[in-house]
Amino acid sequence: MASEKINLPDFIASFSEAYSDLVESVEIFEEKRVSIKAKNDKIIDAAEVLRDKYGFVIPIGGGAIDYPKENRMAMNYYLNSPDSDFIIIYRVNVDRTKPILPSMTHVWEAMSFHERETREMFGIEFKGHPNLAPLLLPPDWKGGYPLRKDFKGEGVQ
Amino acid sequence: MTEPRIEPELMRISWGPQHPMSGQTRILLDTDGEKVHKIIADLGFTHRGIEKILENRSLIGGIVPIDRMAMVDTANISIGYVTAAEKALGLEAPPRAQWIRSLVCEMSRINSHLYAFGLQAEATGYFPAVFLWTTVDREILLDLFEELTGARWSFNHFLPGGVHKDIPDGFNAKILEAVKYLRDRFKDYWNAMIENPMFEMRCNDVAILEPKDALRLGATGPVLRGSGIPIDMRKEEPYAAYADLDWEIITEDACDVMARTKVRFHEIGQSLNMMEQIAKEIPEGEIKVRFTPFARAPEGEHISRVENGRGELSIHIWTNGTPNPYRVKILPPSLRNMYVFERLAELTNITVADIPVVINSIDPWYLDADR
Repeated sequence: MASEKINLPDFIASFSEAYSDLVESVEIFEEKRVSIKAKNDKIIDAAEVLRDKYGFVIPIGGGAIDYPKENRMAMNYYLNSPDSDFIIIYRVNVDRTKPILPSMTHVWEAMSFHERETREMFGIEFKGHPNLAPLLLPPDWKGGYPLRKDFKGEGVQ
Repeated sequence: MTEPRIEPELMRISWGPQHPMSGQTRILLDTDGEKVHKIIADLGFTHRGIEKILENRSLIGGIVPIDRMAMVDTANISIGYVTAAEKALGLEAPPRAQWIRSLVCEMSRINSHLYAFGLQAEATGYFPAVFLWTTVDREILLDLFEELTGARWSFNHFLPGGVHKDIPDGFNAKILEAVKYLRDRFKDYWNAMIENPMFEMRCNDVAILEPKDALRLGATGPVLRGSGIPIDMRKEEPYAAYADLDWEIITEDACDVMARTKVRFHEIGQSLNMMEQIAKEIPEGEIKVRFTPFARAPEGEHISRVENGRGELSIHIWTNGTPNPYRVKILPPSLRNMYVFERLAELTNITVADIPVVINSIDPWYLDADR
């Protein structure tokens, strides 16, 4: 492992120059946090570039957020590299009425649990996932998608 | 969980959700005689919907439920949430509060590692006495927690902008005394366990996790450092007072169960050094800044990354100008390490008898994986 850490401005410059056609935007939203918005037809391509060219091999996890007013949900993948001092939040938007995305498990195997959790909590289907069984909720759960904003659980105000 | 198909020549063993080791989860083992071919983790038995609960509370009110994520290591969970909430509210804790936070976090880490260490002794089957020793020695830390915070477990001691209570009179001397006692005890642990040939037989060369696999599968905490990769959030993104404390990242190169156990063992040593340094050098001053309990955080998003006893905990908070957060995403260490555990059977030779030893070397806390 190289002892030199990848520097954040260098990464932004290099990535924006070489791969700006693969993604919609790259921005730093907080110290040491880079947000990369994916283009919906190049989700996997850009992910592979991040993993293979920039060494973002460590999957920290993934999770979605619901925006009912904009009729969309966003899936966030959190990525780290042993040689970087910052993390990447790779964001993929999905239509709320037809939430289907390609599974990221072919790029980062360990996103498996996180995609299973997102599917049961938000109803996003991940195409190509090897086993999308519920992870945390009971197998016979019929109460809807708990982490969507319009979910009203009993006793939840 | 709907159970996946099983290969016809294998036998499936269901382990849990009630079992003699710690925690409530079920593990399915596809076995051929003694050899385990596949491990399937069935999580969710302790799912409480903490992420949803946090959406329905104010930022400050969230401190209480999130503390319940891992009872044995509450300070390190709490610091993750509080750090993110502080960023959202634009607060900064004064230096003395940061040092008290580091002190409580390190005591909590020792507490957590001692528990893991005791369970590891229990799992090998030879050393039930060591489990009792660690339980008794954890009492010392719990008494210190009680004196400092008023509670032995889930003490909610941190709040955005500082800590609840200052260190009481004479407390520093008690810390130094506890550090001295625990250092002596660790010589006993080392001799009774790590250097014991029987323990070596059970732990050496078992469940080897190569560094590249550890990275690829998202391993974190002592599991990752046991594979020789020096990643620790306290150095990567120093929070509390870690930038001012003298300590180093512990790694072991053997990549097996013994390596992970030794990492925990040496990390306790580092934590004791830090406790000593804090007791001697803690700066004087204020312990909190003023804030309004129902403060509205401006629209934005903030991520904190902290090191728990079990690895990296990241908390992502979205705020939208109301007292409640819009969404809180918790990325717990145990969920990542449970995935590593699932894959281990395919990477290395594991027998049914190894399972308790291997799962304790991963040290998952199911409450934190399930949230």
